[in-house]
Amino acid sequence: MNGATAPALPRWRRGPAATAGLYLRFMRLAFLKMLAYRLRYYTGVVTYTIFVAGNYFLFTAVYASRPEGAEAARLGGLTLSQMIAYVIVSWVGRSFTFNNIDRTLSWQVSKGEIAVQLIKPLHVQTMMLSEALGEAAFRFLLFTLPILVVVIPLFGLAPPPHPALYGWTLLSFLLALVVNAQINFLVGCLAFHLKNVSGVVRAKMIMMEFLTGVLVPFTFFPDWVQVAVAWLPFQAVSYVPVMIYLGQRPGASLAGALLLQAAWALGLFVLGRWSWNRSVRHVTLQGG
Amino acid sequence: MTADPSAPPLIRVRDLCRDYGVSRRREGVRGGVVDLLRPRRETLRAVDRVSFDVAPGEMVGYIGANGAGKSTTIKMLTGILTPTSGTVDVGGLVPWRDRGHYTRHIGAVFGQRTQLWWDLAVVESFRLLQKIYEVPDADYRRQLGRLDELLGLGEFLHQPVRKLSLGQRMRCELAAALLHSPRLLFLDEPTIGLDVVAKESVRTFLRDIRESQGTTVLLTTHDLGDIQQLCRRVIIIDRGRVVYDGDLDGLRDRVGDRVELHVELRTPAASADLAADTAGLPVRWREAAGLQHVADFSRRDIRGAEVIKRVVNARPVLDLRVAEQSIEEIVRGIYRRGDAGDLP
Repeated sequence: MNGATAPALPRWRRGPAATAGLYLRFMRLAFLKMLAYRLRYYTGVVTYTIFVAGNYFLFTAVYASRPEGAEAARLGGLTLSQMIAYVIVSWVGRSFTFNNIDRTLSWQVSKGEIAVQLIKPLHVQTMMLSEALGEAAFRFLLFTLPILVVVIPLFGLAPPPHPALYGWTLLSFLLALVVNAQINFLVGCLAFHLKNVSGVVRAKMIMMEFLTGVLVPFTFFPDWVQVAVAWLPFQAVSYVPVMIYLGQRPGASLAGALLLQAAWALGLFVLGRWSWNRSVRHVTLQGG
Repeated sequence: MTADPSAPPLIRVRDLCRDYGVSRRREGVRGGVVDLLRPRRETLRAVDRVSFDVAPGEMVGYIGANGAGKSTTIKMLTGILTPTSGTVDVGGLVPWRDRGHYTRHIGAVFGQRTQLWWDLAVVESFRLLQKIYEVPDADYRRQLGRLDELLGLGEFLHQPVRKLSLGQRMRCELAAALLHSPRLLFLDEPTIGLDVVAKESVRTFLRDIRESQGTTVLLTTHDLGDIQQLCRRVIIIDRGRVVYDGDLDGLRDRVGDRVELHVELRTPAASADLAADTAGLPVRWREAAGLQHVADFSRRDIRGAEVIKRVVNARPVLDLRVAEQSIEEIVRGIYRRGDAGDLP
């Protein structure tokens, strides 16, 4: 230790295999953590059933009140049974893609708890995405599937026009989950710049219901709104996968729709990484 | 393994500064509206041209009052915060720039925060940390065994963190910070909120670690006891500046080591009477309240026992209490004497 030269700390980087192992571990732990709180999700099944029921009755009434005729059978390009499928698939899908990254991250940043993560050799964005994926695995098995089991016999779900679309819809929702996680991460990062971010988080949640198409299909909106939402990432969170299920894929083709989602997932990840690095470098953390 | 101050430093801090932008609020409703439109920004300097070296294996106490700039310095040294100007070199790495490399070599405990995963059993957190720092299995088992021996973790290793008491949690935090055998350990108020027994076990542990592993430790604390028992060297920071850097004895010499003797009398007396009792001794008396008087003297000049003997011989005394100076008072003392400018 008493050498003539200054002691040097060796440079160090985690290898790809170890990196994969580490973030898989975060996934596994997030899954286990959710398992510990599984009771909380039984009430969630009831909540989602009520959401679906409300929309089911609303749209049934809307379709019934239309005058007789061939044109009247469709609203915004959808038949009633497609509309019901839209409602069910979008809400059930939401139960899978939902996560709390925005709330968790903004809380950690505003309370200064993020310091504890920053002193470790960790990529916080990847860690949070891994945790979201682990949670999603739990949600899929113990939340989304039970909701389907309750909702399908109650309201009836028309199958997609082609059986292969089951698989593509699932893949599309997986991409939707990643896009949603990245949007939430970016919202969470705002806490670096705003004193009180909880209002923004709440506003975002309400806006998302609208802009992702969970509440109403975009085909109901005026043309200029449809054009606007087509340029935003939010459609990739719900509208795109639901339309894939209905066989009414937006964009040129099925592959195009999936590529659009993948592009948003990647683009937002890069944006999140940039925003994170910038925030960490330039912004003061609160508290001791 | 003990620190050799002549060895090349592991940490080299030069002219470190950090500014904060704060908005100053105007008063009243009108002021509030004006603030919205044209906020009044002001720059505060939290850390002001701080420089120091730390040799490998040294344990340094970094102390100062609340808001003095301690935490800001620690944040820059751990790479969380980028300084406004100045440099930090730790073993060839710049903490905030080389964070990916640097964080592998450091451990930290922030008194009020937990780095353990709240819902997981302690041992799950430890295994995750093993993965994060890529500690080989054999090293992990050896280090955990050693930490367990020193801290007695066995009894609650399998409990979730949220069920631990503060003292138990702090022991786990220390173990978590040291599982990867870091070269540097940063401790921000490691004994805050702990009872006497827990405090003592944490201090014993830190002494052992320094001696057995040669870890370089930088410690911030409010507790003079921590400093006295752990650090030969202290750096005092006040209003962002280093006002003292040296050993604890030197600090006492410089400040004069004031002691206060609180006396409660049975029968009324004036402070002048007490001064007469201790005539010839360099003691200042003042009346606190009713029958209570306070003698102020320097331990360098006289011993407390001498003062006590004189008072007790002269008049009936109900109660006696000796109060030492806290770190805050010592720091304030340095400023009162106007020494700050010419301190090293």
